[in-house]
Amino acid sequence: MVFFNGVWILYKKEVKDFFLSPLVYILAGLYTLIIGWLFFNYLVAAKELTASTLTQSILIPLFGNMNFLFLFLAPLLTMKVFAEEKKLKTLNLLLRSSLSDWQIILGKYFATFTVTFFMISLTFLFPIILAFSGYHDWGIVISSYMGLFFCLFCYLAVGIFVSSLTSNQIIAAILSFSILLGFMLMVFSVNASHLAMVRDLFQYLSVPFHFEGFVRGAIKNFNILYFFCFSGIFLYMTRKSLESRYW
Amino acid sequence: MNVIELKNIVKTYPGVEALKGISFAVEKGSIHGFLGPNGAGKTTSMNIIAGLSSPTSGQVLVDGKELDKGKVPIGFLPETPPLYGQMKVAEYLKFVAEINDLPKKLVRDRVFEIGKRCGLSKVMERLIGNLSKGYRQRVGIAQSLVFDPKIVILDEPTVGLDPNSIIEIRELITSLKKDHTIMFSTHQLHEANLICSHITIINKGQILKSGPINEIRKSLKNRQVVKAVVRDWKIIEPDVVLGEIRDLFPCERVEIESTEGQTELKFIAATEEDLRPSVGAYLMKKDCGLLSFREEGMDLEDIFKKVAGP
Repeated sequence: MVFFNGVWILYKKEVKDFFLSPLVYILAGLYTLIIGWLFFNYLVAAKELTASTLTQSILIPLFGNMNFLFLFLAPLLTMKVFAEEKKLKTLNLLLRSSLSDWQIILGKYFATFTVTFFMISLTFLFPIILAFSGYHDWGIVISSYMGLFFCLFCYLAVGIFVSSLTSNQIIAAILSFSILLGFMLMVFSVNASHLAMVRDLFQYLSVPFHFEGFVRGAIKNFNILYFFCFSGIFLYMTRKSLESRYW
Repeated sequence: MNVIELKNIVKTYPGVEALKGISFAVEKGSIHGFLGPNGAGKTTSMNIIAGLSSPTSGQVLVDGKELDKGKVPIGFLPETPPLYGQMKVAEYLKFVAEINDLPKKLVRDRVFEIGKRCGLSKVMERLIGNLSKGYRQRVGIAQSLVFDPKIVILDEPTVGLDPNSIIEIRELITSLKKDHTIMFSTHQLHEANLICSHITIINKGQILKSGPINEIRKSLKNRQVVKAVVRDWKIIEPDVVLGEIRDLFPCERVEIESTEGQTELKFIAATEEDLRPSVGAYLMKKDCGLLSFREEGMDLEDIFKKVAGP
């Protein structure tokens, strides 16, 4: 089987499953509502902050919150990816098929990403609204969305990995949220050590540190490398977790 | 030729030795029954053959080759059929065919054919989640066949089905013999008796008997039983009959059971001598209205009781 053909077969099924479930629409509605409300507030507050640009007063905090919300939403979306299949005993159908472990993982990973892309696409309206006020710094908007998508790659990889460890969706959601929160809080631990090397290490390991550059419009190689490595490591661990049935 | 061969398979879980070095083979084109009480190791063995778990030690050969983990070209129906409730039957079978690399141009026809063969034609456009247990089981069987595997393993395929469906599924399994090698586990010895050409009996993680069902019957039969049904029989006491035949042929025991104007006589041989000519001659002499006369084979129930023990 051609590699991407296998991924595509599973991807189609997973995307369909997601969009047949009310969970996606509930989460998308909730997400848009919260982000819309925040956008409105930042927009109103921006009138007072005459010294700062629209990027500083609206976009930077808005994207920060968009990213932060996915800390809760990503585990809710990924919790069922493997856990439900394990519970319903359908995972063996996939594992015994001609699909390789990587095809299964990537099919599910891309499908989950498509759902989050759908949720984020609902927020494309906000920069367009800003455009009516004369906002034209589209480079920042694009790099912010890129940063957000890179962060999502990481969050979803963690969620999928945790989901492969258990057949209980609640445990999967709580555990992946805890791991993601841990990576987010790492940036606050920077001051915990006097050793510069430890500080730098903590800073480098935390997700917001790398996202921050994107929101400011600064796309750096090492940020991108971090996101790819982070996602890659968790997807690799997912594969190991699937393989563990033979241990 | 053997299509499946297990060589000294050991499977241990913490504190439990589920399989204690089992070895048996499944012949090509056979319907192989896998019998054993609960907890005997049937499902563990089947999962190992299907590639869902690996043995602690030992070797599994499929078509003479040791295959990749999990990627065994075997159609498999586990105890719980792997079904997606939110999918329609036709859609699900198409998905299973596709992920098992069935050529795209064959998928549609194959799904239709298997649906028809498994009695699913009426429900092909219904959601699996809304189907009855019987239909779900049929969908489970259909998914194990849809990509046309040479070997099919069915773990208790008739569990939970109504009597008519059981007969239909048995007929389906028998019809598959032409193109597939079938191995299936069951608790219903009667079922194995009806459709299996070979059986393997497992108990407490050990293989007790394996081979063609007739040979197993023969190997276990140490005393011949001749059963006769007669119309006019006056002697009720078995001892009296025994006394009469003592000098005619070596009989260990006689059982007499009268029901609705008929009497059933069972002559259990005392030696390995064939009793039939002597019993026949004796009954003719008695002029008792012989209705039927046959050697009674050991049925699977007896075999199972004998080898599996209490």
